[in-house]
Amino acid sequence: MPFTIVTQGNFTSAGVGVKVPLPSSADYFKVTNLTQLATTNATGRGVMFEWYKNLVAADNAIEWKKTNSTDALNMVLASSGGFTYVTSAPVVEAQAANAITAITAASPAVVTQTNTYSEGDIVRLYSTTGMLQIGGMDFQISSVSGSGYTLTGLRASGFAAPGTAGFTRRISKNAAVDPEFLYVTEITKATSAVVRTSVDPTAYYVVGMKLHFSVPSSFGMTEINGLTGTITAVSAANYTMTVDIDSTAFTTFAFPASSSSPTARLFATVAPAGAKTSYDPTTGVQTGYNFTLQPFHSGNFVPYMFLAAGAQSPAGSTGDVIVWQAFKMEN
Amino acid sequence: MAPELPLQFSEDLLSTPQFNLIHSFGADLHYAEAHIGKTTRMSRYERLSTDGGQLDGSGIDPAPEVVVRSDIDATMEIFAKTVVINEQVTLYENDKVLTKFTTLLGQWLREKEDLLMRDLLASSVSYINATGGTNGDQPTNISRNDVNNIERILLGNDARTMLESVDAMDKFNTAPTRDAFIALAHTDITPDLQNVSGVILKNAYPSQEGLRPEEYCSVSRFRFFVSSKAAKIPGASLNGSTVYTVPMYGLEAFAKVEQNNYSAILGYRPPYVVSSVAQNSQLYAKFAIAREITNQNWISGLNVTTGS
Repeated sequence: MPFTIVTQGNFTSAGVGVKVPLPSSADYFKVTNLTQLATTNATGRGVMFEWYKNLVAADNAIEWKKTNSTDALNMVLASSGGFTYVTSAPVVEAQAANAITAITAASPAVVTQTNTYSEGDIVRLYSTTGMLQIGGMDFQISSVSGSGYTLTGLRASGFAAPGTAGFTRRISKNAAVDPEFLYVTEITKATSAVVRTSVDPTAYYVVGMKLHFSVPSSFGMTEINGLTGTITAVSAANYTMTVDIDSTAFTTFAFPASSSSPTARLFATVAPAGAKTSYDPTTGVQTGYNFTLQPFHSGNFVPYMFLAAGAQSPAGSTGDVIVWQAFKMEN
Repeated sequence: MAPELPLQFSEDLLSTPQFNLIHSFGADLHYAEAHIGKTTRMSRYERLSTDGGQLDGSGIDPAPEVVVRSDIDATMEIFAKTVVINEQVTLYENDKVLTKFTTLLGQWLREKEDLLMRDLLASSVSYINATGGTNGDQPTNISRNDVNNIERILLGNDARTMLESVDAMDKFNTAPTRDAFIALAHTDITPDLQNVSGVILKNAYPSQEGLRPEEYCSVSRFRFFVSSKAAKIPGASLNGSTVYTVPMYGLEAFAKVEQNNYSAILGYRPPYVVSSVAQNSQLYAKFAIAREITNQNWISGLNVTTGS
């Protein structure tokens, strides 16, 4: 039963893991690092990586690597930083936990950690000592550097104390099903309430969508709990949405205090509740609807192959040109 | 030397494991017609306001109210699985592999559908952290107080129960259950369910008639159904434990849409089609499904951890 290439492609490494969507299941996957083939390094780099279905463990790879400063090849089994074949919609990406050393009580909050995430990634924070009220929430990150990033969706200046420890794990940008629920971090008191979410809402919601609010009493603004509002504006700059709910007379929205004893119900969320559409019978124009974003549909396409990044990994180092091929056995 | 004896198969195959299918039976079932697009829209007219309405005798009509309609859409998606059988298998084996493999594909079809509905509930519904348990984690293990909170949310949103009451009978150690909402839980939290105040385990219902095998217990206004494949998020609690999401819902909270003539297709491709030397045949199963949350007011749920 010979192998057939089912798909192939290439990319230039940005130094971060890469998802390769597959049109069918794969039995063999091969990656070649063209940049490293043409050069040598003081520490030998991986130039070719192979994966066999059911024979190579998750995050492993058969690695062909150059020896130090020469083109001579060694073949080894890489026990981490390899391939992860994903066949069901994941929440948590195939990555280890990453320790946090600080989260500022600022607006926006800034996280300090040895960072390998990319701009726009979504991470789940947990065990956030000092800021336990955000533990378990997902945040989109921006202004990334090697030592941390900003949580645009978290206005933490009202928190009693900064976070002093914790962990993150990168999660899928899309849930198994979209549109998904989002975490709410702030709701203003206004004739049209402005809602801030922990991730950029423009990737999930559109103007005209209805949102159902779930706000536990520990967040103060209980009046909005259970209400449904329609989005009238949405902003990627501040992760905010304006909804047609008059919250002027509502109780102020605020995070509960950080507490290691679970006395406060978490979290405040919004969930998709359909759309408010309008149809002009004169012009025939339908507004408030986006057929691409709005219908419930799968958020993650599977199967896909996740390629880890790094000098000894298939997604390579920044600037490396990578060629990949997915094979399937002929039957 | 003793003669060589052939291997003998037992007369029956052993059971193929199957997890409890709990995520579809509470869904509203709808059907989509062919040839009119892949998006199915469900619409709901919202209630009219009950404010005002009294005529003052002046002859002036009350202002008409603009009727509001909510549209909820879902995209039809197709999923498939195939199995290839070499002719030597059918030639030499005696356990009717084609029949058995067809059964396996049928099982895959229902299991896949169950997981897709699970993913919908896990992704697109708001959950609240349990706080009434005793394990000191965040969220805690499930407690009666947490269950009552969800009941309050659903009742406050005028949700309707899905299951009828089980009336009391003159039997020792049984207790009636009220008309109930449905809760779906992972089998990992069954020890915690047993410890919830006021729990009525299934065997203590006055009657077992009509109960599904997946049902585990009743707590307050909820009857719990369990599956080993229910939703969970590894390592997401304060203490790094697995967080289990427990959807809790009433009538018409979410829907499953089946495509007419495409809800369950099982097929066979003969060897002369699949293989150039006519040695491999192929069985396949495929189905189309769309799923959506139809009323967020009538579904809620808990994030919980295990008690130990």
